[in-house]
Amino acid sequence: MTATDTTTTDTVGSAIPSPSRARVFRDAVAAEWLKLRTVRTTYALLACAGAATLVGLTVLALAVQEFDHATAAERADVEAADPTVAVMPLVAFFVGSIGAMVFTSEFGTGSIGPGLLAVPRRRLLLAAKATVAAAAGALAGLLFALLSFACAVLLVGNRPAPLNPWPAWTDAIPMVAGATVVVTTTSAVALGLGAVLRSTAATLVALGALVLVVPMFAHALPAALHLRLASILIPNLAPQLAGGDHPYLLSPAGAAVAAAVWVLVALGGATVALDRRDAT
Amino acid sequence: MISVRGLTKRYGPTLALDKLSFEVRPGVVTGFLGPNGAGKSTALRIILGLHHPTAGEALIRGRPYARMRRPMHEVGAVLDADAAHPGRTAAQHLVCLARSNGIGRGRVAAVLEQVGLAEVAHRRVGGFSLGMRQRLGIAAALLGDPAVVLLDEPANGLDAAGIRWIRSTLRSLAAQGRTVLLSSHLMGEMALTADHLLVIGRGRLIADASPAQLRARAERDVLVRSPRPAELARLLTSLGASVTPDGAGALVAAGVDAAAIGDAAAAAAIPLHGLTPRGATLEEVYLEMTGDAAGYRALPEEAARR
Repeated sequence: MTATDTTTTDTVGSAIPSPSRARVFRDAVAAEWLKLRTVRTTYALLACAGAATLVGLTVLALAVQEFDHATAAERADVEAADPTVAVMPLVAFFVGSIGAMVFTSEFGTGSIGPGLLAVPRRRLLLAAKATVAAAAGALAGLLFALLSFACAVLLVGNRPAPLNPWPAWTDAIPMVAGATVVVTTTSAVALGLGAVLRSTAATLVALGALVLVVPMFAHALPAALHLRLASILIPNLAPQLAGGDHPYLLSPAGAAVAAAVWVLVALGGATVALDRRDAT
Repeated sequence: MISVRGLTKRYGPTLALDKLSFEVRPGVVTGFLGPNGAGKSTALRIILGLHHPTAGEALIRGRPYARMRRPMHEVGAVLDADAAHPGRTAAQHLVCLARSNGIGRGRVAAVLEQVGLAEVAHRRVGGFSLGMRQRLGIAAALLGDPAVVLLDEPANGLDAAGIRWIRSTLRSLAAQGRTVLLSSHLMGEMALTADHLLVIGRGRLIADASPAQLRARAERDVLVRSPRPAELARLLTSLGASVTPDGAGALVAAGVDAAAIGDAAAAAAIPLHGLTPRGATLEEVYLEMTGDAAGYRALPEEAARR
């Protein structure tokens, strides 16, 4: 059909814009960002991450209080007041859930249909969604990491090690960066899981297993095996990315590679699932 | 223009589409008809790149849908009334879709106005009635002012006013020169809306014709009344017609048209008191055509009771 054989030549079939690939990608990202901002689940999950931060900080405050009342011998045995352990895993889970919902909420409500009709190139859609999930993960991760590490530094004050993991507050900065990278990674991996599993419930269970349950059960393994497994688990990448004192095996560069491999595997799985399977 | 060539789709052992081929022209409303499970939705989903065909291809204006960069400017589609996130408002739903295709917010307001949802633009879709959600789907389809519009069962669950609105909307879209394809399993609805019909059953094309052509296909007979039925019956039989009494004093003649009957009766000086050509309704033609092709059918009531 051409515009000339119609009765309304000015509208029907005329002047179809042929934008550049970069422009199309930018618009797809902007649309995905809008989608994320216009559902209440996003804010509910951010509130959950905020609540988890408060709970974790309360636990740290109690530990500090206990430290103050402990004997010198007891003090030598206390755990470090480190938000990497007390706060960030749950924050990563809730923020990661936002990443998962970028796909699963659309499969769950059927809005994947209009989404794919608007952006039918599936890899482009995946790239746009992954960009948004990672950006949301990075922003929220940075926010909650900054908040929890700042509060932890204030709570610990000038108390000594082992309660205080940082000789100076500036030593917490690499930890904030490491924690932010971990939340970003978790969010991107969760998006990939969501694209493969499609169901919100299944994806959140898998995500919970990956970032909360498996790290806990890894402790039950024999020491040598535990360290090898624990060193590549996403939550444990935070201290390894920051360098400094930790029991794990990877250098900061090695940890960065591990994070990249997690994201590549998850998004690779998502690509295959989206390419091969029928939508809706 | 939509062209579908040799489209085949297999879901495991089930053959949903079997070498389906057809073309849809601009400027008319084309109805895509078939009983439940005939493959209408599958075909539409493949045309729109949502499902992958096992074989064959579907092109819109010469290109597969999945290769389009800004598809909403070329094709508008409504597949499922429940396809908007219930937590978003109508306006948010449309703005998200519009943004992905570089369409401005002004156009969102315009289509909401066009489908009569302007007043509820800022209410959540979860609280919408089925009719409102159908209108929202059509608003989304119209966002990019597309030359091709596809709708899957748009009249499903709508009240009379909603159905009339959809009918007039589609007719005016076609009158503007757009290609309009809509699916339905109801011939009654299609007979009022469509200018051209594609009938499918069990994944195969059964008919590609106008409603008038389909009606003409119906087996016709003629009801004849005469005070001398026995003579008339002999006469008609000699013309090659099969004649049966209708039980109420009239004859039903098949295989010969009313004009021939009238001429022959006049020539033989047999008076006629009634001469009524009878055609099947479009609905009857459709049921007859798809009778063998219906995938799932209820048993007639008597058979079921046995």
